[in-house]
Amino acid sequence: MANLNTESKKQRTYDAIVIGSGISGGWAAKEFTEKGLKTLVLERGRDVKHNIDYPTTNKMPYEFEHRGEVPHEIREKNPVVSRCYAFREDAMHFFVKDEEQPYVQEKPFDWIRGQQVGGKSLLWARQTQRWSDFDFEGPARDGFAVDWPIRYKDLAPWYSHVEKFAGISGNTDGLPELPDGDFLPAYPLNSVENYFSQSLRKNYGNRHVISARCAHLSKPNQIHFDQGRAQCQNRTLCQRGCPFGGYFSSNASTLPWAERTGNLTLLPHSVVESVLYDEQAGKATGVRVINAQTKEATEYYAPVIFVNASAFNTNQILLNSTSSRFPNGLGNDNGLLGKYVAFHNYRARIRAEYEGLQEFTTDGRNPAGGGYIPRFRNLHRQETDFLRGYAAGFNAQRGLVEDTSGFGVELKKQLLNPRLGNWEVQSHMMGETIPKEESQLSLSKDQKDAWGIPLLNISIGYDDNDEKMVADYLTQMEEMFTKAGFTNIHKSDSKQAPGLDIHEMGGVRMGNDPKTSLLNKYNQLHACPNVYVTDGACMTSTSTQNPSLTYMALTARAVDHAVGELKKQNI
Amino acid sequence: MDRRSAVKGILILTGGLIVVPSCVMEDGRASIPLRHLEVSQTQEKLLAEVVEVLLPATETPGAKDLGLHLFTLDMVDDCYSPKEQKDFMRGMEVFQKITKKQLGNSFQEATPEQRQRLIAEVNAGKAPEEVLAFYSILKKQTIKGYLNSELVMTKLRKYELVPSRYVAVHPVTTASIS
Repeated sequence: MANLNTESKKQRTYDAIVIGSGISGGWAAKEFTEKGLKTLVLERGRDVKHNIDYPTTNKMPYEFEHRGEVPHEIREKNPVVSRCYAFREDAMHFFVKDEEQPYVQEKPFDWIRGQQVGGKSLLWARQTQRWSDFDFEGPARDGFAVDWPIRYKDLAPWYSHVEKFAGISGNTDGLPELPDGDFLPAYPLNSVENYFSQSLRKNYGNRHVISARCAHLSKPNQIHFDQGRAQCQNRTLCQRGCPFGGYFSSNASTLPWAERTGNLTLLPHSVVESVLYDEQAGKATGVRVINAQTKEATEYYAPVIFVNASAFNTNQILLNSTSSRFPNGLGNDNGLLGKYVAFHNYRARIRAEYEGLQEFTTDGRNPAGGGYIPRFRNLHRQETDFLRGYAAGFNAQRGLVEDTSGFGVELKKQLLNPRLGNWEVQSHMMGETIPKEESQLSLSKDQKDAWGIPLLNISIGYDDNDEKMVADYLTQMEEMFTKAGFTNIHKSDSKQAPGLDIHEMGGVRMGNDPKTSLLNKYNQLHACPNVYVTDGACMTSTSTQNPSLTYMALTARAVDHAVGELKKQNI
Repeated sequence: MDRRSAVKGILILTGGLIVVPSCVMEDGRASIPLRHLEVSQTQEKLLAEVVEVLLPATETPGAKDLGLHLFTLDMVDDCYSPKEQKDFMRGMEVFQKITKKQLGNSFQEATPEQRQRLIAEVNAGKAPEEVLAFYSILKKQTIKGYLNSELVMTKLRKYELVPSRYVAVHPVTTASIS
């Protein structure tokens, strides 16, 4: 019997465990398996195999019963996920429904989750910008959160490492606030986006519209063909899963790559309840997993554990990993686990029309989505009455317009002979928010989910800084639009709850001092160094960039460190 | 299980108590399964004729042949709120009554000229509010169903599933407007 147990335990022991198969977990899997480590990847959702499990990917619009719309009953039952722009008939099977995994909204928070193999990497908006030292030095300069324990130079080589493999399209723009990377050719700005870019340069000097940098193979290299991926075909149906592997996802890229090493074991339907801690050894030894379908519990073991469960689920797992050494959650000696969470402020939008450049339009579809305006506010010095700033999307398009006022033969003729509309321009803000102690996550004391895990309480709200930033974005953009001669300007503030940005971050923040942070500069828990956190939970501040590229770079760097530490027997 | 026979069963069991509106009982249900709407065969025929006036068959098929009345019913049944569904059904009933009163006949029995004239009135907003609510849903879904039909998307205004290009600066020509 003892022998059987030893044998069984051996079979459940790996060189590394990665919790989560999304954008950062996929990278951990790739890096570990490439370096020869037998790696177990645990995914709480079902398996989604590249191409095989994209049921809607090749459907024409008329093949969807409701032509894209989500039925009323589903929207009623799932108000949170229904607010997400991508929750449509073609992709709703990749989202967690509200009722499947409840959580406690101490303040309104739209928690958008994609729990399957690949996670939200199937669904993301694929925008990828590097951070600069304007971002890493933000907290120290402006006196909030804690100082980041790393600077741009620490991450730059790892940005290159992940960019080359993932395939990021973009221009070398030479902007210190948005460092250039190892890019594939950019998707060019169209005539009005270009015109606006010139208008900003003329009127402001330090405000720029650049081609949005995105994880699409505009011109694949050998490394991408080696992954089985091909050039992006401009379908812009990415949320369905791409049959060409035209955009980066764990499913199309890192996971199959890891699988080919022969070192990967991927277990779907595996809900991690907690990380196991051995008091004698003084380190984590493995994880306790509940099978999502059978509810059976199993333990798995490894000398190093990466927690990449998505920002808030990572917090939940660590808070739930209690022991007599860590009664308040793994690594939580200072009581700050779950605190200082933040997000991106996406509330404000502006749109207008442009009557010029009528001789041009576009042809085909732009997967990058258009232009990107890097942060210009409070960049070199504090210049407003709010801290930090915002980046913005900007795009221009001309739609086909049908006159639907008539009926009969006339209506039919109109529908079949649309005219080209005016240029429509629009922008949305992506504001940095300030992590605060009162913005926090905790475990419910009385409510548990279907797997016996306490529900997550979420308590995050906007503050005065966010309100001022929304107002400033709208004022500045209106001025910029007006100077460019755009007309019929409409400003809006959706007042949407935090979370709908799908950029929730923090709770397990990095920092130099174990008294004020949870993770060190290599993403190891200060108090339990064989556990690494490299998803959104590790973020000390949010800056304005779309965060995924930074998670990928931090993950690859952390795996490199972990493997070195294992070799040196430091962990 | 066939839904219509299931309903018949209920009628027998309840001794013909009001389970479904009387009009549905008289002439049977619509030809597609509906979960919320109680639509009679007569009403289905009416809708087929109204959408045909909206988008008639010409050298290309019209709304009736494309089944856009059934598409509308499916959309209203699945994607609209109970309140909107009620408004739609109520509006259709008022429309039926008005037709009968004005033409002395049902819409489907009226002459093509009479149908044209009636829809022209409604399309111009000259109808009771209930009818306009019904009509606006019907017209919206008919247009949506038409533009998103296989016929239009593959033959008349081609939809490209795989464009394989993005030309950022493209001169406007008539060819590009399609």
